Amino acid sequence: MNLALQQNLFDFEPEKTVGETLHFKFLELFVVCKVIQYTWEWGFYILRLRDVVLPIGLARYIDVSIMLGNPMPLVSAALITVICSLAFFRLGSKWFYLAALILLHLQYVTRFSSGGIQHSSNFVGMSLMGFAVGVAFFSVPKEQMRFIWGFIFFFIGLAYTSSALCKIIGSGVTWVDGRHLWLWIAEKGADHLSKTGQFEMNWLQRVVFTNLHIATLFLLLGWLTEFFGFLFWWKKMRPFIAIGALCLHFGIYFSMNIYFSSFIYQLLIIGFPWAILLDRKLPSGKQTPTLKKWLEVKSEI
Amino acid sequence: MLQILLVATHLGEFWPFSIYPMFSKGGRTWTRALVRDVEAVSDSLAWQSVSLNQLKGSPVALPDYGLDQVDYANFVYKTRNWDDMRIQGLRDLFKEENLRNKKWLAMIVRGYLNDADSVVALATPLFILTGDSTFKNPNLPEAAYYNLTVK
Repeated sequence: MNLALQQNLFDFEPEKTVGETLHFKFLELFVVCKVIQYTWEWGFYILRLRDVVLPIGLARYIDVSIMLGNPMPLVSAALITVICSLAFFRLGSKWFYLAALILLHLQYVTRFSSGGIQHSSNFVGMSLMGFAVGVAFFSVPKEQMRFIWGFIFFFIGLAYTSSALCKIIGSGVTWVDGRHLWLWIAEKGADHLSKTGQFEMNWLQRVVFTNLHIATLFLLLGWLTEFFGFLFWWKKMRPFIAIGALCLHFGIYFSMNIYFSSFIYQLLIIGFPWAILLDRKLPSGKQTPTLKKWLEVKSEI
Repeated sequence: MLQILLVATHLGEFWPFSIYPMFSKGGRTWTRALVRDVEAVSDSLAWQSVSLNQLKGSPVALPDYGLDQVDYANFVYKTRNWDDMRIQGLRDLFKEENLRNKKWLAMIVRGYLNDADSVVALATPLFILTGDSTFKNPNLPEAAYYNLTVK
């Protein structure tokens, strides 16, 4: 069982293919782009903060108020942008992704020191951590790639199951009571009102508000989807769990106006066997010399 | 192991590690916040607590002013003591230049299930912010601003 799971997550044996390498670099490009996007968004937002209300993460040990009231967040954002770009092309130090992770953590804890946190960047953060560890500790490209895939699969599967367990611990089996969904819809409606100046229920919200059983079923399905998130660790189950998680996120979007765009894009990238499709569409005989050369260069780290 | 150690010692959150506890407590009363432009509303009307479908004045969409609505809500409802520094912090969130020539009403919104299993969302005014002043709601006892539990 353990061996089978290990092979599903970290299968170092099979030879890597062109499709897998392309798939992997596309994931890496996505992660780097999102990291750069977050660091600048947070950097500009930090400029308007005046004090640290609730220190979180490393901010409990380091006084991040030194980031406030000066352009340091933008300097940090520029630094993260440069080192992530270099790391993507495997230029410079193998520790670049780790440095970017630490700097981005500091940006995050400063940005969210105003009292509330958001989880929308967590998958990208975990993926950056996967790249940080993989690039730093695995010198063979194939092993590096397989480790990073496994690392990301493991923590994304764990995230959904962990969330389901939190709900059971926090509320017990009555968590699925549809009235709880009514309260959350109203709560997020207030946020939407604050965001856009208006709030009108959509058809799905009206349906769950008028029928307690449907609201309860809605929560039950959501909880089951989260609970079985750990099945993402198994190759054959991955596309089905990804589809379930995507449905969950769209359900959350239509019922509570919360759009986890990063989660959705990342699930689309990692949840499906795109590498097999690419290998079928791009047989080795049809690879252009430029592509072959590029992939070889990428392999020589 | 590192994840377990970090989340266990940091209330479940050590970015990017998390136990993902969002929406884990069902049925709880919630508190949010919003802003209305009450330029054309008399003060006596503006200070009244109302349900969300009876709000006075015109809406203020916070992202239009570079402010995240969740941050704003967190800042308002997690503040227990509205001392001068916190009030200035609130003005800084809006940015002074955005408040120039404005009359904005900062409200705290509380949602709960009533005895008839209906969701009630009640908005209570906290401050009127103008270009040069901040006024507290005269209908709230002064003590409410120093141990804020709006009901």
